[in-house]
Amino acid sequence: MRKWLRGSFRNRMFAAMLLTALAPLLLGGALMLRLQVQRTESGLARQAELQLEDLESALDELCAACGRITEDLAGSTVVHSAFHRGGGGSRTLYQVLYRTTEPLRDYMRFDIADSSGLCCYTTGAALPAQAMDTHWGLLLAAGGEPGLIFRSEPDGGLSAARAVRGHGGELLGYITASMDQTGFLRLFGERYNATCEVLLLDRQWRTVYYSRPAQAAETVSALRTQLLSGAPLTGADGEYRFYAARHEATGFTLILQQPRTFTGRVMDAIYVVSAFVGTLCVLLSLLCTWLLSRYLSQPVHQLDQAMGEVERGRLDVRLETGREDELGRLAGSFNRMTEEYRANLERNLRRQRELNETKLRMMQAQLNPHFLYNTLDTVKWLGVAHHVPQVADLATNLAAILRAAISGNEIVTLDRELDLVERYLSIQSIRFGDRFTCEIDVQERYRSCLVPKLALQPLVENAILHGVADLEEGYIKLWAEEADGDLILTVSDNGPGIPREILDAVNCPDKQAPGGHLGLFNVDSIIRLHYGPGYGLSAAVLSGEGSQVRLRLPMGRKEDFYAEGSGR
Amino acid sequence: MRRLWGLCALVLLLTACGQTSAPLPFAPAEADRLIIYTSHREEVYSPLVKEFEERTGVWVQVETGGSGALLSRAAEEAEDPVCDLFLGGGVDTLQAFSCLFEPYVSPLQEELSPAFRCPDGTWTAFSSLPVVLVYNPVLIRSNPPDSWRSLLDPAWQGKIAFASPSLSSSSYTALAALLQVLPEEDGTLLASFAQNLEGRTLETPIQVAQAIAGGSCYIGVIPEDIALQAIEDGRDVALLCPKEGTCTLPDGMAVISGCAHGANARRFIDFALSKDVQRYLGEHCFRRSVRADLQREETAFLSFDYDATWAGIHRESLLEQWQALIEQGEA
Repeated sequence: MRKWLRGSFRNRMFAAMLLTALAPLLLGGALMLRLQVQRTESGLARQAELQLEDLESALDELCAACGRITEDLAGSTVVHSAFHRGGGGSRTLYQVLYRTTEPLRDYMRFDIADSSGLCCYTTGAALPAQAMDTHWGLLLAAGGEPGLIFRSEPDGGLSAARAVRGHGGELLGYITASMDQTGFLRLFGERYNATCEVLLLDRQWRTVYYSRPAQAAETVSALRTQLLSGAPLTGADGEYRFYAARHEATGFTLILQQPRTFTGRVMDAIYVVSAFVGTLCVLLSLLCTWLLSRYLSQPVHQLDQAMGEVERGRLDVRLETGREDELGRLAGSFNRMTEEYRANLERNLRRQRELNETKLRMMQAQLNPHFLYNTLDTVKWLGVAHHVPQVADLATNLAAILRAAISGNEIVTLDRELDLVERYLSIQSIRFGDRFTCEIDVQERYRSCLVPKLALQPLVENAILHGVADLEEGYIKLWAEEADGDLILTVSDNGPGIPREILDAVNCPDKQAPGGHLGLFNVDSIIRLHYGPGYGLSAAVLSGEGSQVRLRLPMGRKEDFYAEGSGR
Repeated sequence: MRRLWGLCALVLLLTACGQTSAPLPFAPAEADRLIIYTSHREEVYSPLVKEFEERTGVWVQVETGGSGALLSRAAEEAEDPVCDLFLGGGVDTLQAFSCLFEPYVSPLQEELSPAFRCPDGTWTAFSSLPVVLVYNPVLIRSNPPDSWRSLLDPAWQGKIAFASPSLSSSSYTALAALLQVLPEEDGTLLASFAQNLEGRTLETPIQVAQAIAGGSCYIGVIPEDIALQAIEDGRDVALLCPKEGTCTLPDGMAVISGCAHGANARRFIDFALSKDVQRYLGEHCFRRSVRADLQREETAFLSFDYDATWAGIHRESLLEQWQALIEQGEA
């Protein structure tokens, strides 16, 4: 991974962009989700608390009214006298009972029981047949404490009792009030949302009222277990949220059961959708950052590759980005730089060549002594004046050769060069007499070819001086031919052959001017400087006798030479 | 930088998840709690527990089950007891598990009938519960079974309903009573009773009453309160006391040794022995009081001198023998 990151600019850019795209997106998404859930839940909690307050105040009012009514009844002289008289059926007491209990009769049933627990008067439909246990539960508690006692009924429902005591403090009987499902439904019915449920639990969390009686046992037992184990109240199935409030007057607990908006299933669904969207985002950002990083890193990559090409020597590489930004400018700079570099190289090459030509001229200048020419002119006229035609011829030929040497033309036609060779031969024939013959066999079509001036003369001189000089019947042949489009000029003799060391020196590609045979090396140098390393001299010793020197030149004609310009 | 990001994410997640609802302030303090294991029916324990809670303000949690199963569970939890008070089970069964209990002699013990007092306080009697013979009066019109020996009578073979003595302590009491009353050797008696049952036992005495009322069995042995409840409910069940006499062995309660809420457990025992509760048991739960001042001569059964100590000591070996015989009968 680290290697993957470090190895490539693009990978780095990709990773960085992916991180900057994904991290805020995913974190923000998760945060938003959480905030949304919390906001909704706190809203619901607020709602539930308001409803609970409302329910509590309703219960408060009921308890207060119940307290007043039972107190009124317990203090009523009618009730006292009825107890003293014993038995039931007092119409006056019923009148008092109905009048006093008027405000709560829709919710509660009021009973008046004697000290043995037997009910004598009731606002209910019928008197219960069985006496209440005065040593158990409600009546025991009412008998033991002053004031109104509230208790839950075993099967749900609220009961309250107050002892009626005579002036001497003796127990006369009990006022009891009871409230069942219907009463609670009337009391609470309008005060909470239809989606919610209400629970009223006694001090030890036993059911007093539950708006869904069928689930009372299950839910209350679950809540009680959760309370005792210190767990949050989630009920039997966790689909609801429970808000509890202690009711001070009774010590009971009022609980509002609110359906959870974000139940496990809803949250699961939300998480699945979020995960799906998140994955989609990840894929999308992967794609986008991949494309973007490719788009951004492409010029850098191209530049990197082009630089590699330049390093390998390809100077004609050009970058075509078509961009106008920094990377576009960078590519332009690269192009200019390589162009400049290439031009620089060429300039260097040209300068080198110019330097070579200067050296060439200097060498030729060594062969340019003007005074020799003037002297030879004088010698010719002296020969003519003194009727020595050989001297005149000698001087004429030598002067022609010198003129050619002095002339500014570096390149001459082969025809002209051959003319110089013939003049040279006629000079040498005076010296050697008939001891050698020279045959020049050059077809007419080669005669217009261009050669460096005085390139052939040293070859012929070499053949005479080192080949046939000591022979009685020397033979030199000069001919021209064409090979691979090049012009080959060969001079062969039947002399003793070129010594081995000279031969090796001539054929060696990087020649050093030796002591003797300076002419050959000069010719070779001139040709190489003019035409490049592929051309020049080569020498061979023939198998029979004699030696052969070959001069390779490009097949350039006069018109070609001038057409190419004078750069060379 | 990367670490910083991770930290940020962690903090965000933590703050996001930290908003769970806190426990309510309504939960009672440890001192106001009591955990009871009971084998009694809900009709018996529920009003008592409610009354206890209302009188004392203590919150009671109740776990119900068969007495054998609950005692085994308490024994498993002996190292770190969950239960504070064991309520129910014949005192002979409780005696067999005496190592689980912390002795407590209630100040109200003096008011009990002498027969129901436990001198060392291992257990405290809760109510007296004679074992009675029950039969279906519709199916048996004449000569109903009237003695312990009837249970061995081949005439009733396969028609006797009996709860497994390892699951129900009253059933074990009945089995021990059978062995103590009849003169034959224990092994012989067990074998012939198992044979008469044809290897079939039920799980609870209530199922026995249902089996007899439903006619699938003719006779059975169950505690008196269940028989009376069945009769009260209008089922076809009649009960009688065996002519050899029955055992008036009480069922008991005991404080678990090393429990968390021992004081409340002892408070409950005192409460259970109070006149109010004992009277309530008699009036609403078909149970006989263990208090001397609440004994009713007119309904007293003939009883023989049941040796609870013997029954406690031999419980394990007898149940083993019995289990083997039952499995044999089933096979």
